[in-house]
Amino acid sequence: MSEESSSDSVRKLVLPGDLMETKSKPGRGIFRSEGQIYASVLGHSSDKSGYINVNAISGRYNPKIGDKIIAICAETGPSIWRMDIGSSFNSTLHHSESGWKVPFGDTARFLAIGDAVWAEIFMVDAAGTHQISLKKDDCRKLYSGTIVKVDTTNVPRIIGKQGSMITTIRENTQTRIQIGQNGYIWIDGKGEDIALAQKAIEIIDQEATSKGLTNKIEKLLEK
Amino acid sequence: MAGQTDMELIKNGVRLDGRKPDELREVKIVAGVLDNADGSCYLEWGNNKVYAGVFGPMECHPRHKQKADRAIVQARYTMAPFSVNDRKRPGLDRRSTEISYIASQAFEKVVMVEEFPKASIRVDMQVVEAHAGTRCAAITAASVALADAGIPMRDMIPACASGKVNDVVVLDLNKEEDNYGQADLPLAIIPSTKEVVLLQLDGHLTPDEFEKAMDLATSGCMDLYEKMRNALDNRYGGSA
Repeated sequence: MSEESSSDSVRKLVLPGDLMETKSKPGRGIFRSEGQIYASVLGHSSDKSGYINVNAISGRYNPKIGDKIIAICAETGPSIWRMDIGSSFNSTLHHSESGWKVPFGDTARFLAIGDAVWAEIFMVDAAGTHQISLKKDDCRKLYSGTIVKVDTTNVPRIIGKQGSMITTIRENTQTRIQIGQNGYIWIDGKGEDIALAQKAIEIIDQEATSKGLTNKIEKLLEK
Repeated sequence: MAGQTDMELIKNGVRLDGRKPDELREVKIVAGVLDNADGSCYLEWGNNKVYAGVFGPMECHPRHKQKADRAIVQARYTMAPFSVNDRKRPGLDRRSTEISYIASQAFEKVVMVEEFPKASIRVDMQVVEAHAGTRCAAITAASVALADAGIPMRDMIPACASGKVNDVVVLDLNKEEDNYGQADLPLAIIPSTKEVVLLQLDGHLTPDEFEKAMDLATSGCMDLYEKMRNALDNRYGGSA
């Protein structure tokens, strides 16, 4: 959901079990029963290019291949790490996808429990298990800084139209910020700058659906 | 049920709390009240007060309970020690184990469990004040919490009881009617299809009375369903 589409058309709130009266094909958040289509999740419906979707408002992060995310180590094995990415299941990071030369059983030396990484999802299978990789683009371990967790569905709001919102926060607080698609946000900088950026992000997360948010954030950051 | 009393439970077609036989107690539903749950709901129904929280879908523990092709719903109904007049020993007892089990069964009917293999969806229902009809209140609250958690499901399930008091079939028994009435029939349905997902009966009803009680409880469920929708509308509607 971009900011544009949210202001252009009036979105309709649909609840699970609502009948969707449309000739479009069923897309996300939809189920079929006896020739009719119904919404399966709480969200906003959109009827575009022949498909009807219901975009969920809440719920856990649903991993997709290629998503850039922030993962936190939850468990270490002899040759793998189990990483918390805020979805239903922990993700696996195999040593061969880490980019480090890890001796067998020595995983914790590279990534201990609680350490965070900027990673990419490179495999998702039908059983719901997924793996992440550190061998892509700018993927790396994250040192210092802090991590804020927000609702996945609010991530587009925090980034803003073409990154406008996040650029505002970055420039006004002099912090480095990386936003994972999973709603984990890494902020690095000076202590009070981090606190300010964190506050701004938390406000956006709480009031994601209200209007005039950009002005409110600008005001907060100017102080 | 089957208790004895001198109270006149229904007088000139009006019940102890001033309701007509086919009237619900006052219901108030608020969605999204707990920060740490994926979805939550607070419900007041007459003097009943219930919190419901939904966690997950998440990895199912213990592992032997996992299903390779679908998720399981682990509902847990508990009553707070201070929820009743005589202090209730905290924790699971025979009654709450039963209610937890039937609630899990009801939710597995509507939640799209096949979308989350090996996962578990935890539904915690906590009764903080009990005044008859808490299983219905808890299931209703949990349905709203499930929707609030963004869990895909076929419909929300409202639950409502009907029963027999002084030979009159009535909707939504209160404490006195539950204790001294003749029958209690909790019912949960899928509103879109009118499918029954939970039905219990305590006491005696003739076949005719049973039909009437079912109709009353079904209409009660539909009334409740509107209130559940309003609760979610209040939380998420008005946006955009």
